[in-house]
Amino acid sequence: MKPLYLVIVSLVCAVAAVAGPASAGPADITVTSSSIDPPVLMKGDTGMLTVTIQNNGADPVSIKSARLFGSGVVALSDSYPSVGEIGAGNAKTFTFTVRADAGEGTFYPMFVLDFVNAGSLRYPVPVQVEDTPLSISVIRKPDAFAEGRTADITIRVANPRPNAASGVQVVPQGTGFSVTPSSAFIGALSADGSGTAVFNLTPAAETTAAFQVVWRNGINTHTADLVLPIPFGEDKRQADPLITNVEVRPEAGGYRIVGDVMNAGLESARSVLVTPGAPATPIDPFRVYVVGTLDPDDASPFEVTLRADASATEVPIIVEYRDDDGNRYTTTTMVGVGGALAAPPDEGDGGIPLAGIIVVALVALGVAGAIYYSWRRK
Amino acid sequence: METGFLRVLFDPGHFFESRMRDEPSLKVPALIALVVGLIGAISAALVANLIVGILPAEAQAFGVIVVGFSVAGAVIGGFLTWIVYGIVFYLISMVFKGEGSFARTLEVTGYGFLPQVFGGIVGAFFSYLIVSNLTIPAAGSPEEIAAVTENLTGMLVTDPLAQVAALAGILFLVWSANIWIFGMKYARNLSTRDAALTVGIPVGLYILYTLITLAGWL
Repeated sequence: MKPLYLVIVSLVCAVAAVAGPASAGPADITVTSSSIDPPVLMKGDTGMLTVTIQNNGADPVSIKSARLFGSGVVALSDSYPSVGEIGAGNAKTFTFTVRADAGEGTFYPMFVLDFVNAGSLRYPVPVQVEDTPLSISVIRKPDAFAEGRTADITIRVANPRPNAASGVQVVPQGTGFSVTPSSAFIGALSADGSGTAVFNLTPAAETTAAFQVVWRNGINTHTADLVLPIPFGEDKRQADPLITNVEVRPEAGGYRIVGDVMNAGLESARSVLVTPGAPATPIDPFRVYVVGTLDPDDASPFEVTLRADASATEVPIIVEYRDDDGNRYTTTTMVGVGGALAAPPDEGDGGIPLAGIIVVALVALGVAGAIYYSWRRK
Repeated sequence: METGFLRVLFDPGHFFESRMRDEPSLKVPALIALVVGLIGAISAALVANLIVGILPAEAQAFGVIVVGFSVAGAVIGGFLTWIVYGIVFYLISMVFKGEGSFARTLEVTGYGFLPQVFGGIVGAFFSYLIVSNLTIPAAGSPEEIAAVTENLTGMLVTDPLAQVAALAGILFLVWSANIWIFGMKYARNLSTRDAALTVGIPVGLYILYTLITLAGWL
């Protein structure tokens, strides 16, 4: 029987020698790299996970399938049902669409390669999920808003995330105001980077403006809002025209009021006009006095003429001016005329009334006739 | 046209020619000056009453006195004006070697005042129009009274109606001057040219002064 054993052993060795090189083992296959785009997902984000393997052995390896599974980060795409053979020294890349379904943290979905000759390769791929949004803040706005007055508002968008954000833009939203530009594009923001956007906002009423930041993390669009209340108030820097050194001079047909108008504010008052207000009636020659521009701490004399009721003890003097944006403002100062004589209203603009001219003409005719008659009778 | 002394208005030559036949009489001229003064007193009373309104309540008792003085001043002013014109005419006519008594000069000057009656009536009417449209605020202190009075004076001078009244007054003065020329011609036995100069110089200067005042140059 010994020779028989020898033959059997020799056959087995021969079969083993023939069959061995045809199917290398899983030890020759290694995962050389894995990546995900975007590098850090947010909750609900969809990403592309890529795994690259390489056959480090001297013989081809037959792979049955490749798949990805796990919890927290799940694969949305199908597995690779029949991969085929990978040659010696070759590499192969597998791409899976994944979605972050759980909360924040680092997840390890499992990449599994099934070999034809049984056995498999299991490789956990790390995927980071962080839900921190971009931050948005107002870095400049006026002390107070006013109806129709344009305000410069500067918005800063910062990226506290560990990966870059792309397509960043700021879009103002709301009613009761107009704003330019209608949106501002900042572009890509690297990690820990920031960008600014400037808006000119003109409120028509007290309202609330929302500035929405829109950005993309990979192919996923995200938004963040900043709500900015717009209450009306007094601007601490605005022009403040005051009337001083007032002198009331009664004259035929009304009053002549002279004085100084001074800008006690911190901004220039433009197109300053001084005019009497109701119930007083402006009359020539100074129905309105145009002062022009009053810079801060500047003063200018003014002079207006008006008619008022004889019983009036005060008349309003209105100062009208504009700011740099052309918004119109008015201030009213009451000027006492009680110590002065109320002049009689006359006909027309302060000249000799028509009836008086007629009387003088008639008298002149009569006198001329009498003189002519007296000399003719001589 | 025999209508008494009113004939002097339209036919002063013949009127004074006939007056020269009688002795000088100042009754009618004085009456005319009185009427002129009384009419002037109406205007003065209107303005005085306006000023009285400025005074505080406790000083209103002085108002009657103020009005009384104003009326008396206006009446006396009528006579004074008459006499001053007579003196001026008399003195100027002396330059032209005029002959005739001062009483005669006063007589013709008084007759020449007759147009001033109409001028006074027109002036009083305008004064009424001006004053009736004024409201005077009560003043509590002497400073306020002074300020309001100053304003009142300035306004009465610059009021268009006051200017109309002044223009009408000038026209009536021209009419009076025309009568005075005839009067001085006969009263001081002057040529027409000398009589015209005697009257024209003072009256012309007065009219010039009035016009300058109206124009605001003074």
